Amino acid sequence: MHKRNRLFLSFALGYGLLGGALAITWLLDPTLIPGDVPRAHGHIMLLGFLLMMIYGIALHVLPRFSGFPLYSERMADGQFYLANIGLPVMVAGWLTWNHVLVLVGGALSYGAMVLFGLNMVLTVRARGPKA
Amino acid sequence: MGGARAQRVPRAQDGRRGASVKVALLVSQGCPACLEAEAVWRQVAEERHFAFAVIDVAQPEGRALASRLGLVGVPALLVDGALQGIGVQNLSTAREWAEQAGSRAQGQAAPLAPHFSPDNRFFVLAAMAYLMLAGLGLALNGTLLTHGPARPVALHLMTVGFMIFLIYGLGAHMLPRFTGNPMRQGVWPWLQMGFAHAGLAGYVGGFLLQAHRLAAAGGVLIWLSLLVFTLRVLPVLWARRPPPDPACRGRFGP
Repeated sequence: MHKRNRLFLSFALGYGLLGGALAITWLLDPTLIPGDVPRAHGHIMLLGFLLMMIYGIALHVLPRFSGFPLYSERMADGQFYLANIGLPVMVAGWLTWNHVLVLVGGALSYGAMVLFGLNMVLTVRARGPKA
Repeated sequence: MGGARAQRVPRAQDGRRGASVKVALLVSQGCPACLEAEAVWRQVAEERHFAFAVIDVAQPEGRALASRLGLVGVPALLVDGALQGIGVQNLSTAREWAEQAGSRAQGQAAPLAPHFSPDNRFFVLAAMAYLMLAGLGLALNGTLLTHGPARPVALHLMTVGFMIFLIYGLGAHMLPRFTGNPMRQGVWPWLQMGFAHAGLAGYVGGFLLQAHRLAAAGGVLIWLSLLVFTLRVLPVLWARRPPPDPACRGRFGP
C-alpha cells in the first residue's frame, strides 16, 4: 500500500479521535471550548474521519479494480496536502468565528475533492487495453 | 510490454478440460509488473470469457498456493491450478495461452475473497441494523433529521451506528489484505464492539431521556471503541515488512 494512502488512513483515525474528544468535551462543559464546536465536530468527523478513510481506501483499490494504474500520483499527493491543510484551517475558522478562515479552508478541502474526483474518473473510465 | 522477460513454465499434466477454465494471477504488493500483468489478463478474460481471479501472495490462500507450487517470482499465472508462466505476458501471448487453455463461453472475472471473520461479520450486521433503525425517522417524520431533541439521536445512529460500524467491519477485513500485515485479534475486536454498542446505546438513551451525563458517558465509550480500532489498525498500516519483492518478474523488475 502506497505510503500516502497509509497516511490518509492514519490521519483519518487521528481526526476521528480528535473530533470525538472535541464533542465529548463540549458535552461535559459547553463553555470550555469557544466557537461553533458542534459544527467543528461534524466537519472533523465527516471531512477528516470518513472522507479521508474513503480517500485512502479508494486510492488503493479503485486502480486495481479498474485494471489500470492510478492516473496521477501527483494529483493524489496534491489532494493529500490540500485536504490536510484545508480541514484544520476550516476548523480553526469555526472555533474562532472567523469566516475568512472557514472560506479558505473550505476552498482548499473542495480542491482536494476535485483532484480526487478527476483522478478517479481518469483512472476508472472505460478505455482500451494499455499499449 | 514485457513479453520478452516473461518466462514460460512447462504446464503440468493435469488433463482437466472442463466446460470452464479458471485462470488465476498470483501477485504481490510492491510489484509494478503485477499491475501490468493483471491489466493484460483482465482484458483477455473479458474477451475469452473465462473465470479470472487475482490472488495476493501475502494472503493465506496466496501463500498456500505459492508454497504448493514452489513459486520464486510474481506475477505468476495459474490455469486450472497449474503453473503456466511467470512474468508479464503481452496481449498476443496471453491470447495464445488462453486459446491453448481451451477458454469457454462461461465465467467472468471474480475475486476469490476469503470470508469475514465472526467479529467483522457482526460489525457489518450491526451496521445494517443501525441503518434500519436510523432510517425510521423517514417513515415516522418524513425526514431523516428532525429539528427536535431526536436530531442527534438519528444523526449518530446513522454516522456511528451505520458508517463507523461498517468501517470497523470492512476496515478490519480489508486492510490486512492490502498490506499483508496481520491485525490484532483475540479479545480486542470484541472489546471494540462492546464499547461501540454500549456507547451508542448510552448516547442515544442520554439524549432521549435528556440525561446529558449518560450521553457524555456514551460518547466516551464510542471514543474508546475508536481508540481500540486505531490501535489495531496502525500496526497493520505501518509494521515493518521485508523489502519489496525481489521476486517481482517484469519489465520493471529488479
